[in-house]
Amino acid sequence: MSDPSIKARIALVGNPNAGKTTLFNALTGQNQKVGNYAGATVSRKSGTFFTPHGHKFELIDLPGAYSLDPNSPDEKITRDVLIGDQEGEETPDLVLCVLDATHLERHLYLLLQVIDLGYPVVAALNKIDSAEAQGLRLDPTALSESFGVPFVAISAMTERGITQLKHALRHPFPSPPGRLWKGPAELEDAIEKSIKLAETKGETYPAASGLTAVADKGPESKEFIQKTRFEFIHRAVEAGLQRPNEDSLALTDRIDAHALHPVRGWIIFTALMITVFWSIFKFAEVPMGWIEQGQEALQGWVGSLIGEGDFQSLIVDGIIAGVGGVLVFLPQIVLLFFFISLLESSGYMARAAYLMDGVMNKVGLSGKSFLPLLSGYACAIPGIMATRTIPNAKERLATILILPWTSCTARLPVYTLIIPLIFAGALQQGLALFGIYALGTITALVAAKFLKPSLGKTEAPQFLLELPPYQKPRWTHVLRQVGERAFAFIKKAGTVILGLSIILWFLESYPKSDSDDPIVQQSESFNGQIGEIMEPVVAPLGWDARMGTAMMASFAAREVFRSSLAISYATDEEDGEEMRDKLTASTRADGTALYTPLVGLSIIVFFVYALQCLPTTVVVRRETGSWKWAIGQLAAMTVFAYLAALVVYQTGKLLGYS
Amino acid sequence: MANFATDLELDSALTLSQAAIGCEFQIRQVRGPACSQLRDIGFCEQMRVKKLTNGRNMLCTVCGTRLALSRDLADQIQVVPA
Repeated sequence: MSDPSIKARIALVGNPNAGKTTLFNALTGQNQKVGNYAGATVSRKSGTFFTPHGHKFELIDLPGAYSLDPNSPDEKITRDVLIGDQEGEETPDLVLCVLDATHLERHLYLLLQVIDLGYPVVAALNKIDSAEAQGLRLDPTALSESFGVPFVAISAMTERGITQLKHALRHPFPSPPGRLWKGPAELEDAIEKSIKLAETKGETYPAASGLTAVADKGPESKEFIQKTRFEFIHRAVEAGLQRPNEDSLALTDRIDAHALHPVRGWIIFTALMITVFWSIFKFAEVPMGWIEQGQEALQGWVGSLIGEGDFQSLIVDGIIAGVGGVLVFLPQIVLLFFFISLLESSGYMARAAYLMDGVMNKVGLSGKSFLPLLSGYACAIPGIMATRTIPNAKERLATILILPWTSCTARLPVYTLIIPLIFAGALQQGLALFGIYALGTITALVAAKFLKPSLGKTEAPQFLLELPPYQKPRWTHVLRQVGERAFAFIKKAGTVILGLSIILWFLESYPKSDSDDPIVQQSESFNGQIGEIMEPVVAPLGWDARMGTAMMASFAAREVFRSSLAISYATDEEDGEEMRDKLTASTRADGTALYTPLVGLSIIVFFVYALQCLPTTVVVRRETGSWKWAIGQLAAMTVFAYLAALVVYQTGKLLGYS
Repeated sequence: MANFATDLELDSALTLSQAAIGCEFQIRQVRGPACSQLRDIGFCEQMRVKKLTNGRNMLCTVCGTRLALSRDLADQIQVVPA
């Protein structure tokens, strides 16, 4: 405990969808820290809060788990922290177990396992308002008596019961009730002996270690312990929970009758996806205009303040044009994250995974791979990290390897620059964007089909998924997620892209030419020289030297492609329209137009398939534990992107397009 | 006598994939390679389960929670009418 003012450390545990993160946010507010567990990419979220008695506690949000017998790397972290096996992490002083009151029976299993470990525990009966609305009558006192730990009814979303929960977390903590269930004499003997052995070994939690050792002896003893725990839960629930007798069709059932229907479900899914992509184009127009106007004004103002010369050029053409060229896409990125977050928060995402399972199964994956792939549309990194929920190792590896082909938001600036060169009208452009995303996705799935058998023999993936009830989106959660991603994007624009813009401007401006002609200056600059080297490589794709240079620069970050072109074409203003006009007007040496629809298509195809993101490669290395997969993926995707763009351009030319 | 009753009950048990839609069942036994995973998510002996749809992946509710599971997994759950 680094902060001496912190009185105790509390671990927050619960099943996925129990409302753990909402409770974490409700308790800690803005006092949060995000880091990583040692040796793992599972993020470690912690925060502090004060009890009504003025004690400061640290709260650690552990990954969601159905039980302490881990089925995924995420669940393993939770287990390891609680049994003291997690490197660099002290065991908590108390465990706050979040239970979904609407699904109490299922969630009590984890609580019972935590109690078995010998911790002082407080149980938060979350979503109490939903449970009451469903006619469930819960008796926290009866449950407290059965489990020997305080039960507090709360609603983390409306913050009902949060004060009572803080009161229950007062110091000194309730004494641990210890193991509540008893097995037959033979099993009890084995447990007792195992605990004594753990004590002599000096284990931190001998009761936990002893019980785990017995459970790990074989499937039969584990099964027996599981059954005995559930029998205990069954009895406790009979005393503490009354269910309504009615069997009415709840709202979730009514929506699911359509959303999961084999035909209507697909129509809804496709309509939702098209709406999302159309909205990204349509609703982003206005704020993008504001950013462009602001940028023009800034360029004009700064230009008038600084006298003409290299410094003015660096600020106006290098920094403002380069950073602004990327920042203008913030509204589109915010919208994409907003929709993904909205679909997740409302409960629809799990339905999409259910629908997609059939398709995913045809390529050797399961619906569980769909959610990481969908996150990949926002950013490959959280997508790759989300694969940790896939229990099958081969399926997880295959998903990681194909995931960068789901187009992330960093590609949006390139797509939205090029699409209007090919199509006019928001609907056509929206459909084109949908098509681009579909192209990446379909190729990724086909690749999985060929890739998975080569990763070794494995059993068919099995599908087991909880479908949470539909609920009103948690706006604070949605906005917080969107805000975090927007901030990350702005930070990237202000750091990586700023730095690259300065380098690109330097390469474009030096060495100085004797001529005043900007074309001569461009061709004699470092950039021009690099372009000359790149030209023979990119010419078969229909690209010119400047596009080759921009493509090389975009291996550091995709968005730089646009900044690089903006700087290369020396656009005074970072107006998207004006930049497109410049691109449209640019010609080859023979006077023919350079940016034809066919060339645009070739650029788009290259960007759909190329893995131009170094952080992704680093994360793939960390998640797969091998540079072999990370470098192999980077090389294979680059070669594939080049060949695909080559085939598109050359075939187009053969068919008579220019 | 007790054994006879258990045998009789097991004889009348059917797998969740064979069970009829819309009916309530009680889980009699979970047996198979994924039994531990199934119990963790809520398919444990004595739990009441209601089957909602059939197909390659079926939907059911256990203690009010809606779960989707593949036929292979449903074959590992033996149920008796509740």
